Amino acid sequence: MPRPRSPRRPFRGLAALPLALAPFALASHAAAGTFVGAPPSPAANVAAATPAPARTLEEYRRFRALSIDLVGRMPTRAEIQELERAGFDLDRWIDARLGERGVVDRLLRVYMDALRLEVSPAFTVTPQATTLRRVQLKGPGGAALFVYYRLNQRRAREATDGEFCLTKGESGLQVPAADRVPTGEPIEVTQKVLDANTVEVKPWWLYGDYRAGDPVLRYGDAWKTASARYQPLPALLNGPDGKPASAVRVCREEAQSGATGRLLLTGRKRAPGPPPFDRLRPLPLDDGYAVQHKAEPIACTSQAAHTLSSECGCGVGLERCLPSDANTADGRAFALPDSAPLGLDRPLNAGPQTLSAWRRFWWTQEAVRFLEDVLANDRDFRDVVTARRTFVNGPLAQFYQAPTSSTPPQTRRPFGLVDEGEPLFDPARLPKDLLVNDLDRWDRVEDRGPRAAGVLTMPVFLTKYASRRARGAAVYQAFLCKSFLAAGVELTPSDEPDLTKRAGCSTCHATLEPLAAYFARVPETDWSFLPPASFPVDSPLCKKNAQGKAAGFCAPFYDPAFSDDAHGTLRGAYAARAHVDEGPAGAGAELAASPDFATCAVERVSSAFLGRALTSDDAALATSLRETFVASGYRMRALVRALVKSPRYLDASPWSSTLLRSERGATAGGGAR
Amino acid sequence: MSAPETKRDARARRTSPLLLLAIAAGAALLASGASSCGARPPELVAPTAAPAIAPRASIAQDSAPKEEPRLVPAEAWLRTYLQLFGGLAPLDAQARLRGADGAQIFDDWATYASAIGLPDHRFDLPRGTQTNATMLATFERLGEALCARAVEHDLQGPKGGTPPGPPPLEARVIFAFEAPSPGTKLERASFEPRFDVLHRTFLGYPASLAPTDRTGRFLSLYQDVVARHAAKDAPKSRFTPEQAGWSAVCEGLIRHPEFQLY
Amino acid sequence: MDAHGRRTFLQLLAGGSLGALAASQASPVLRALAATTAPVAASAKDDFFVFVHAAGGWDVTLFADPRNEKRGLVDPATTDNTDVRDLRLWVDAPFDGDVKSFQIVQPKGCAIPFGPGIGGLVDHADRICLVNGLAMNTVSHPDGAAYASTGRHLVGGRAPASSVDTMMANELSREQLMPTISLDFPSFYVGDALDRRVVPLRIGQVGTLTRILHRPTFYQTSGDRDAIGKALADEARELAAKADDAEVFEGMALQYEGVRRMLGEKLEEALSPAALKKAYPELDGKAKLHGARALGLSFAAEAMRRNLVRCTSLAFTGFDTHASNYRQQARLQQEMFDLLAAFLQILDRTPHPTRAGEKLADRTHVLVVSDFCRTPQINLAGGRDHYPTGSAVVISPRFKGNFVFGKSDAAQLLPAAARKFQDGTRAIAPPDLLATFVSAFGANPRAYLRDGEVVPELLRA
Repeated sequence: MPRPRSPRRPFRGLAALPLALAPFALASHAAAGTFVGAPPSPAANVAAATPAPARTLEEYRRFRALSIDLVGRMPTRAEIQELERAGFDLDRWIDARLGERGVVDRLLRVYMDALRLEVSPAFTVTPQATTLRRVQLKGPGGAALFVYYRLNQRRAREATDGEFCLTKGESGLQVPAADRVPTGEPIEVTQKVLDANTVEVKPWWLYGDYRAGDPVLRYGDAWKTASARYQPLPALLNGPDGKPASAVRVCREEAQSGATGRLLLTGRKRAPGPPPFDRLRPLPLDDGYAVQHKAEPIACTSQAAHTLSSECGCGVGLERCLPSDANTADGRAFALPDSAPLGLDRPLNAGPQTLSAWRRFWWTQEAVRFLEDVLANDRDFRDVVTARRTFVNGPLAQFYQAPTSSTPPQTRRPFGLVDEGEPLFDPARLPKDLLVNDLDRWDRVEDRGPRAAGVLTMPVFLTKYASRRARGAAVYQAFLCKSFLAAGVELTPSDEPDLTKRAGCSTCHATLEPLAAYFARVPETDWSFLPPASFPVDSPLCKKNAQGKAAGFCAPFYDPAFSDDAHGTLRGAYAARAHVDEGPAGAGAELAASPDFATCAVERVSSAFLGRALTSDDAALATSLRETFVASGYRMRALVRALVKSPRYLDASPWSSTLLRSERGATAGGGAR
Repeated sequence: MSAPETKRDARARRTSPLLLLAIAAGAALLASGASSCGARPPELVAPTAAPAIAPRASIAQDSAPKEEPRLVPAEAWLRTYLQLFGGLAPLDAQARLRGADGAQIFDDWATYASAIGLPDHRFDLPRGTQTNATMLATFERLGEALCARAVEHDLQGPKGGTPPGPPPLEARVIFAFEAPSPGTKLERASFEPRFDVLHRTFLGYPASLAPTDRTGRFLSLYQDVVARHAAKDAPKSRFTPEQAGWSAVCEGLIRHPEFQLY
Repeated sequence: MDAHGRRTFLQLLAGGSLGALAASQASPVLRALAATTAPVAASAKDDFFVFVHAAGGWDVTLFADPRNEKRGLVDPATTDNTDVRDLRLWVDAPFDGDVKSFQIVQPKGCAIPFGPGIGGLVDHADRICLVNGLAMNTVSHPDGAAYASTGRHLVGGRAPASSVDTMMANELSREQLMPTISLDFPSFYVGDALDRRVVPLRIGQVGTLTRILHRPTFYQTSGDRDAIGKALADEARELAAKADDAEVFEGMALQYEGVRRMLGEKLEEALSPAALKKAYPELDGKAKLHGARALGLSFAAEAMRRNLVRCTSLAFTGFDTHASNYRQQARLQQEMFDLLAAFLQILDRTPHPTRAGEKLADRTHVLVVSDFCRTPQINLAGGRDHYPTGSAVVISPRFKGNFVFGKSDAAQLLPAAARKFQDGTRAIAPPDLLATFVSAFGANPRAYLRDGEVVPELLRA
């Protein structure tokens, strides 16, 4: 039913206008509140007649669209009242929003949708060196008892060297290396045996002050400052009797906190017959590396340290290790959200998760924090693929301080490495005072190391896109908005291993292989780095012999298809050798220097805000936005400002030109539908 | 810049169907003429100058922009929902939405995440960009939960609250108006300002600007629901007929096409 | 032109000379417009469809294109790289000393040589139309999944065409309560020429649907909900009349009505996981590797029996076996095909809901595809990587059974030429298979597919 319209208040559009109003404060979407608390909007006095509209429908709709895109939600009644005030300055309102959280979230969503930086649950991250398994024993007096241990931990005691720290004779149990429950009938472990082989520790997951000499701030008790997001499962907090544990019992070797250990040499020879001491596995022999480097200490943060030394443990308060609730590599320990689309502080759920999920979750959060920093501080957007800085919290610092990889460290021994020689994230750059259990403190690490390059060297990217080619294709798509398409190509059998030349394959691989070569030093499904000194692009160590075969240890790293009798060629290197030593940082530099980088950023942001792909009709807008973006130094704020003030965006919300014409008072009729 | 063909492209190129029909009809005429006159020699017509076509009317070129409405991003929808619910965090809102009724009126956010269009990057499930019946059914379930709890809070008042009864206007989150006394038949004049409050709350503009007779339609809905609940054989409800009516209006707005689109 | 006028025009268009023009010429708009009224084969209007995506890329050498000898690049499955303990059809064949490969599975009368991964489906070989040597031309998961289901590679990361479940829903089931339900299948709805009711209803799990449809009884009546739904459908229609883009609002109007019907049918009880498990115990919900999808097949069976859904599309996951998890590839296949075999048995015994005297099996068509296949070589991690060849399984009364079409080359497992197409002699590709599938039900493939050629050899006479 039509109502008489009141004269509209002047609407300060996008022209520069005097500011009649101070910008009103939008209620933050993250603001705390309760349903029974103060309402977000003023009440209406319905005793009076319905107020006449102060704006046109077009103006209301436009404001609503801007609120959705810039604030991250629809406007409240209070905000609409502000819009209706005389002299409301939309220009200024937009500018104020550009510096707020809502825009950061919007842009973050654009790039998380493009990069999908969450790793599948099928990908497990269970480094032996940093995982504590748990066995339940019958303790002195018959009470059940948990003991934590590390798989393959070297021990000075022969009977348990490389195994769980109590023998079957002492506990009644044989503890398998596989993810299975121990076998046998538990017998009561004597106090003497227990004390000789295990110690009590106040671990990081129980104590906020675990680095103190005698920690007292227990979780759920005196530790009042624990993060709301830090939620150890009851299985970790309680003993087998379900009562709160004040400490945990750990095999003696694992409880050590030294920074280095001596290499263990036993002079042991392979013995025939079944394993002694009722062991499930034979006694470990001396490792070749230990024999060669017997005079050298080994860093206890090394991935191989626990398999080479009986003097390396999990550190103070077991801070180098994650606890599992069972004799498995990927048990459960903490509750975490599956999904946090509104941010870490506003998860949609929280439930028990595996250790792998814990690691993957924080990997994602690292990328989120990094991107948020670029967007919130309006940094050069090229930093996303080039910057060496990052952000870490406690769990990430724990992950990075003990460099690991997804492949066994033994595979690198023939190349002279005990483990990763030059990690992508140099642990020395980590803040020293960051506690493992501090989830809320995010420290900026200005420089991860010379090989760091934005998200490209983060574990979440390297494992989400597990192969070199997948990584190359991912950045090509995400940052240059280009795809590899091979429609219509016929693939015929061929012996040509060079995909840049092979018929049918070359259409894509001529571009993809050189991009992939930047990632040649980051092995597939891994986040570690192969240093050039040990893994040269051309390695004589991996040359082919007279039978055309290279040494077996070469296979994971060197590609026989491109090797000859002089040297082996590093996998993934053949198409662009120069790119290999540039590493992912080279890929970042190439992307950032490409003219398509800015074009793609404009396309991604514009199509997200307009809710559709850009078309040829948008060419002028895209060109203009690109110029603005580049001139601003690749600042997203400038791009978004120009976009949301463009007629194309502002006219996207009044979806009925019939109504629009009517409101604008234009003559009806004509025009193409 | 290359981009897939979109509705915008297609629309720009769309040929007038009437024109196509005309072409078809013309083609058919030509074809029939050709067959019937096939034996005759071709007719020759001397060219003559065409007279100027006199203008019969003048219309302005339509320069009004045309865009299709966009689906509100799932995150923005969720934030709005939480804002309407009083600004709670999702898990706190979930606890209050479930209340003492368990999963009767609300399950958990994880159940609804995919249905409302949130992507799941762990499994490479993309963002939903179009409505579908499942999505609208989910909006209905979520809308019903919010409106029911809002009626309880705003119109009934918390159990054991002091003083008993609804909270003062300034403490109400959705129904920020005085409800008419129970049994009062609401006519358009008294419905309109109350509806306007809700319309502004959910759709962001005064109801009087709505391009449909929305006030009339929602008044009918309100009256229909009130009558159903006031009937002698009405099923048992925790709401009075009027409360049920306002809840229905609330649901109609939070499920409205203009709420989901922008 | 209003919606009614447009439809009238389209009817004219489809019935007249422009209909043929639209169907055959290049204009996508005209093609799409024609599609909205493409003549539906009357005999297919009561048919049902089940689309299965083996997500991750299956190893065809274990079931469809079996290889048990070392030849060229091909490293066959052996006792060294495969866990054979639970494979019922694995019978050792000589390979290398103690290391054994498998014997080809080919029961008497079966024209198709299978590998042991085929599991229980081998008992239905007389219904299987197997397509080998599909030219996938991609080794990217998103691209392969989209290509298999739409016949188009991704463009700019987006699917440029609708998927086959959407095509069939648009063609045959606009009036159906749930035209197409998608359980993680690569389903796409693209363009504005399709009916909005057939936008795939994407859900993660069967249980999600019933939970979403649950309504409490202590606040509102079903009459209240119906009245709200009607008011919203009316609003959407009115807005459509005023909007530049009527389709979005028209679609919402149809979807509001769809929700009203869903609630009216009381689906919550019939389709709850507990009810489905009870109704179809042979679809083993405890299946170790595919338990959740067993429930998806139960859902399909029950929803078809009740004539609620036209197309059910679902994904079986876990086939992306790059490393030691390859040892489970054959088991994954066996379990998936066992479930499909059990599903066929249910269709065999279940009466068709609308056609007296017929069983569901007479009117149900199953298409099983994957992203691509896996490399013929075993990689360093003991698995197989991505490879641009594919296979597909069709089980349909309209397709030949006990029939195999297409092949890969013996030494490199690449697609080999299958026949002469209009564009030359080449291997069959997903657009050809999809065009053939769509055409089998009286639909014009050109209305949905840019590429592809119908392969009549696959169809029953």
